[in-house]
Amino acid sequence: MELTYEPRIVGFLCNWCSYAGADLAGTSRTNYPANIRIIRVPCSGRVDPLFIVKAFQLGADGVLVAGCHPGDCHYSDGNYHTRRRVGLLRPFLDYLGLDKARLRLEWVSASEGKRFSEVVLSFTDTLIKMGPRSS
Amino acid sequence: MIEIIRNKAKEWLEKNEDGCVIGYERASDGMTARPVFIYEPHMMGKLIFDETCVHNLSKYLLNRRGTRTAVVVKPCDSRGINLLINEHQLDRDSIYIIGVVCPGMKESHFGRIEDHPLSKCRRCLHHTPAVYDVLVGEPQPETASHDYSDVARIEGMSLQERNAFWKEQFGRCIRCYGCRQICIGCYCQECFVDELDPLWVGIRSCPEDNWIWNIGRAFHLSARCISCGECERVCPVGIPLMLANRKLEKESADLFDFEPGMDAATAPPFATFIKEETLEKVE
Amino acid sequence: MARVGVFICHCGTNISGAMDITRVVEAARKMPMVVTASDNKYTCSEPGQASVRQAIADNKLNRVVIAACSPRMHEPTFRKAVAAAGLNPYLLEIANIREQCSWVHAHDRKKATDKAIELVKIAVAKVIRHEPLYPREVPVTKRALVIGGGITGIQAALDIANAGHEVVLLEQEPTIGGRMAQLDKTFPTLDCSACILTPKMVDVANHPNIRLITYAEIKEVRGFVGNFKVEIMQKARKVDHTKCTGCGTCWQKCPEKSPSEFDLGLGNRPSIYIPFAQAVPAKPVIDTDHCRYIKYLQWVADGEQGKKPPECRICEKICPTGSIAWDQEPQTITEEFGAVVVATGFQVYDHRHYEEYGGGAYPDVISGMQLERLMNASGPTGGEIIRPSDGAHPKTVAFVCCVGSRDQAKGRTYCSKVCCMYTAKHAIMLKEHDPHVQCYIFYIDVRAGGKDFEEFYLRALDDAGAIYIKGRPSKIYQDGKKMIVLGEDALMGRPIEVAADLVVLATGMEPRTGADRLAQKLNISYNTYHFLVEAHPKLRPVETQTDGIFVAGACVGPRDIPESVAQGSAAAAKVVGLFSRDALVTDPVTSVVNRDRCIGCLLCIAVCPYKAIDCETTRDKRVVAVVNESLCKGCGLCVGACRPKAVDLRGFTSQQILEEVNSLWS
Repeated sequence: MELTYEPRIVGFLCNWCSYAGADLAGTSRTNYPANIRIIRVPCSGRVDPLFIVKAFQLGADGVLVAGCHPGDCHYSDGNYHTRRRVGLLRPFLDYLGLDKARLRLEWVSASEGKRFSEVVLSFTDTLIKMGPRSS
Repeated sequence: MIEIIRNKAKEWLEKNEDGCVIGYERASDGMTARPVFIYEPHMMGKLIFDETCVHNLSKYLLNRRGTRTAVVVKPCDSRGINLLINEHQLDRDSIYIIGVVCPGMKESHFGRIEDHPLSKCRRCLHHTPAVYDVLVGEPQPETASHDYSDVARIEGMSLQERNAFWKEQFGRCIRCYGCRQICIGCYCQECFVDELDPLWVGIRSCPEDNWIWNIGRAFHLSARCISCGECERVCPVGIPLMLANRKLEKESADLFDFEPGMDAATAPPFATFIKEETLEKVE
Repeated sequence: MARVGVFICHCGTNISGAMDITRVVEAARKMPMVVTASDNKYTCSEPGQASVRQAIADNKLNRVVIAACSPRMHEPTFRKAVAAAGLNPYLLEIANIREQCSWVHAHDRKKATDKAIELVKIAVAKVIRHEPLYPREVPVTKRALVIGGGITGIQAALDIANAGHEVVLLEQEPTIGGRMAQLDKTFPTLDCSACILTPKMVDVANHPNIRLITYAEIKEVRGFVGNFKVEIMQKARKVDHTKCTGCGTCWQKCPEKSPSEFDLGLGNRPSIYIPFAQAVPAKPVIDTDHCRYIKYLQWVADGEQGKKPPECRICEKICPTGSIAWDQEPQTITEEFGAVVVATGFQVYDHRHYEEYGGGAYPDVISGMQLERLMNASGPTGGEIIRPSDGAHPKTVAFVCCVGSRDQAKGRTYCSKVCCMYTAKHAIMLKEHDPHVQCYIFYIDVRAGGKDFEEFYLRALDDAGAIYIKGRPSKIYQDGKKMIVLGEDALMGRPIEVAADLVVLATGMEPRTGADRLAQKLNISYNTYHFLVEAHPKLRPVETQTDGIFVAGACVGPRDIPESVAQGSAAAAKVVGLFSRDALVTDPVTSVVNRDRCIGCLLCIAVCPYKAIDCETTRDKRVVAVVNESLCKGCGLCVGACRPKAVDLRGFTSQQILEEVNSLWS
């Protein structure tokens, strides 16, 4: 494993909860590795499974989909659908040879700044330990 | 059995003068079957039904919306009809379904019919069609449980082995889209691969784009694929497509307790949710 | 051809302190379609915004990227700035290089700079694909519907009507007044409930802006904020209220009595009746389940089998105005409204569920509300507090708190908030009625959180001499003429038995039966107990997720009269605010369906949380989905579900997001 391996993480964060939580992580001056690139979406339910597949095909080492806690979705139902879509996509990608640990679904509320940075830290760590993708 | 099919079809066509009967006839090799469209009652003698009738004829129903059609279906094909009705593509009342209790189909290659059944038929659970207007043959008891040993074999491989396996399989894809054309669940006017803006998948046959194409198509069929196996049958380069589709079928059954095509009314998993469910989370 | 301007903010040293801004600017200049890139110390300041406007003019920019703080902070600010320069405000994208870059990567300047460059790259890739978006205006019908004629609904209706708008107040019972009409006195002031309620009821009846529709229900609700179409089902009273004068002759003479709902079964009422003396409207309805003539008509319709029931029709014979209308049928009334306030209130938890307390089995085990009826001078006993079994005056009264509340075993874990207070009130009132009575109150905690509540509770302890026993009784049974309450005195750590003449179960509050069905018709949410769900429990207590539909009072959760009245007024204020404009401006970030690509699978309709998508038939006879942009909230759930990619979300199109992803590897 190269010492200079820096995993590339694409994050899809919902505007109302997880993106706000990521903002709070900044306002509270927490620290996390700079490997993640965040793309804002209105709701985690906006995330088309094809975005995730595309990100992996281009070379992403990890994809994070973050939304509101179930029951708290700003649009009431979005995250329930996200949960099902990612819940089916992840074992499928693993079956096709893409480790399911590379696709993470996390619920981060707008008040969980610290939690967001912990999520990014733990995800980055996991990806570093896993090493670069074999394909 | 074939006499019943012919008679029922003839009766129906006599009552529905501008209708069409879609069934199977003997192919030009004198041995296998091919689809046939019959518009005249006196031509009903053309209809056959034997173990070479592998084709899923229900796809043709999509071309005949707004008209009356009778169709001969095996159990797997009938599930396709339920799927299309569920997705508002077909009007149940304008279709006359001649459901056949299926003995299992056999492969035919190069002028020879194999003596063993198709692998999809060996695994088949439902020998009686899920929907029909008339049933031909004695209803058979269902096979007790699913046999996912083929999927389990891949699951048992290591991550690297799986990666290599699928890289090799999808690497052969020539992007002929035969799988899409034959699949009953693929009926979009413009497929996502045809869209240029955004360009979801490049048009060339190359490993990266083939990967997205095959995953995308499989995922669009998750909890919809009715396991008729036609995609794999028509693939000119022998990609084991059912091996991918069945993994999604297994996961859908595990996670959502859902089997596609068994009825036309149940909401599919992506149309609904259960608040309390927790699908496995990975840390 | 896009001409993008990139503006990178130092934000003082918040951003520039953690990264090399110069390197970011240089990299931005090289990005595709970027015509100009510059930096600024405080872009949000007036000089900062002015420089952006100037740059737009000088470089003929048609797209703008601002790399600064979070869009959640200043997107509206920069949209205005861009609009002031003559560009559509939606041709802007913000790269978050502060909260999500400089502030979290303060220790690695190189990495923070590299990341900032990529974040700008993503924003440029997206903004190139932005299209101008235009908000729409929808008209507002300035009429309000208030569902529920209890104190909350009455308050809301009066406030809206006083502000000059038409209100329809809908009530499913024959009269308005709700639970407050059944109460005797209210805590902590011991105001006579009817005395403070009935003037408001009369105000409602007389108000020129209020149309009162009683004995009616909601059949169907369609439409959206500012434009609701409601079908109301007026139930058949069998009495013509346009002729009836409310003289009362009919209900005095009606021979068929049955248990009174208003008195909770403690007394009877005739089959043609008004629920209580001060009912509004004070005109009767006929209870078709018990009316003798209706039973006779049924006997005739069934073929005259068995014994002939009496034909009766006494009310019809003696009515001086000929108001009895046997052939009256339910009627549908369709009305249009701009806003709806739901104030359907609560019902009392049915104490018969507590078999261990003899609920329903022993006549001397009653609910708190039943005690109110006994205490009330207009009640079934004329205000005499007597045992239902033998009419004797009870000397020992036991109260059990938290019946149907805070009880996991009965599936009701919440606290009903008012029972501690009304039980204290009952103890005080019982002492007032009879100075020799002794009250024993079995409690878990005493919750006296409101204004003057603690002092009121101390009155029950000190002045009324109530004995409070901490412990939940396990069983209540009859022994001779006494009811034995078996409990635990937890503070003393020993069991305790109280032999009471009367037991009062302090039953909790639950939403009215059918609250869930009404919520479904209105497309608003409710929880497991069928309490309605507000948009935000702290900051938006009277709004719902559905624009234009407001909630107030006990239908949202247990609360007392002052809270309910406050909420009724709050909801009214929201409605009046909504009506203060002639048109509503909609957010243009909405979904739109490409009809050529749509295959009519209608999965989008199934997933839309706002029922904002409908289907229609095209000219070539295909069924396709179509989005109602006034209802669409721009979540994009439909887009995530769509297989042929027929529906897309303006402002977050698939092309924009895909190019954001692509740009990370280009």
